[in-house]
Amino acid sequence: MIQRVQEIKNSIGAFLFKLENEYHTIQWPNVLDNFALLSGQLNTLGKLLKSEKVPAFQNCVLLPLLLSQDRDAELEKLTEGRVFAFNHAVVPDYLRTKPEPEVEERIQAVCNKATGMNAEMAQKQINAMNKLTSNILDIINSHRESMDSDASQKTSMSQTFSQTDTSNLIAATLTGKGLKTNRRPDIGQQPGTMPNQPQVQQKTQAAMGKAPSSIKTNIKSSSHPYQRN
Amino acid sequence: MESLPPMFKAASLTTEYLLQGSIMEQSRDVLLQRLIGLCDDTKSPPDNFHDHEMVFHMKNTTIQQPLVYRVRHSLVQSDCWSLRYLGNTEMGDKNKPTLTRTSIDCPVSENVVQYLNELGFRMDHEFVVKGYYFHKGRMKVTVSKFFKMNQPSNVADNLEAVCPSFLVELSVVTALGQEGVGEDMKNFAEQLKPLVQLEKTDHRKITMNQT
Repeated sequence: MIQRVQEIKNSIGAFLFKLENEYHTIQWPNVLDNFALLSGQLNTLGKLLKSEKVPAFQNCVLLPLLLSQDRDAELEKLTEGRVFAFNHAVVPDYLRTKPEPEVEERIQAVCNKATGMNAEMAQKQINAMNKLTSNILDIINSHRESMDSDASQKTSMSQTFSQTDTSNLIAATLTGKGLKTNRRPDIGQQPGTMPNQPQVQQKTQAAMGKAPSSIKTNIKSSSHPYQRN
Repeated sequence: MESLPPMFKAASLTTEYLLQGSIMEQSRDVLLQRLIGLCDDTKSPPDNFHDHEMVFHMKNTTIQQPLVYRVRHSLVQSDCWSLRYLGNTEMGDKNKPTLTRTSIDCPVSENVVQYLNELGFRMDHEFVVKGYYFHKGRMKVTVSKFFKMNQPSNVADNLEAVCPSFLVELSVVTALGQEGVGEDMKNFAEQLKPLVQLEKTDHRKITMNQT
């Protein structure tokens, strides 16, 4: 059990260190992860304490025999430097078994109010509460339904992209596929040299024996301006 | 510059990390809304662009592949011209989340076309591209549609969409070897699924299929 406590202490320490030193870079999901870790560890500790094998701490009696104002080296070592002396300042905090007086007062007030209420009023309030919760439940359920239908709609949604289109577009940007036009030999362009080049390329490709049909048409179109010239 | 040790040169920002995908026309608005939500200070409607790109080739007698330069200028801001060189795309191995390629982009004046022609470059093709762009940290997202120009050098009329879908590109231009970038991009791409599948597309395959 001490080991468990030690683990929790370590993770809290690590988390605090993170918060102090990396507060400007730390991400929210990271913080949540840390919280999840802590709550998991606290849960296991709680379970351990509740299990039947462990004697209830309530049955153990702790009696402060001696209070002293002097520094206690042994105690300091045990608590890793947190408590220097077992004196009047710390004892009420460490050996507290009841809530603080103010808290007790408030609890008392609420208890008084509860006992002071008559049965009819109580029934009314319970009814109102039930109504409210069922209303909220309804709202949540309807939301869930609409979300579920949304989700199913999303999965059934038609394709938003097409692999062929991607390939076509990339080909267009890379090599100008589908972008080349029958160009007039005009301003700034030397006629002849321009259509020449694709021709050379296509001839070599044709020699490699790939998709001859498209090549033919390409050659035709690219040699048009040449002939007109 | 010559006197600098090589490590300073290597740090120049010329490597583009790239993921590509496409979105169909009817789903474009959904994607734009999602990008507005995900990216840095975007407004509705998002920033758009309308560019004209000319692709110049120079033939080489020894290498079959031509040298390609791309001149792009905005049709909205008339004095905004740029010249870009894109290297071959590398797939890398499976562990690499993105494509990489060399990308050198520099602003130029509008007589660059004349200059390239003087150098021996010839225009291979041109097109008009319209779309939207977003920033998320150092990542850039573009959603763009490509138009074929049926009349040469007429960027206003007689345009024909190459494909009804929009090309979606997620890219970062930075120094080589920054693998963290790829991870960031992968995570961002993950957030756009299933709307768009941004992935490494093997460019060699596409170039080959075309032939």
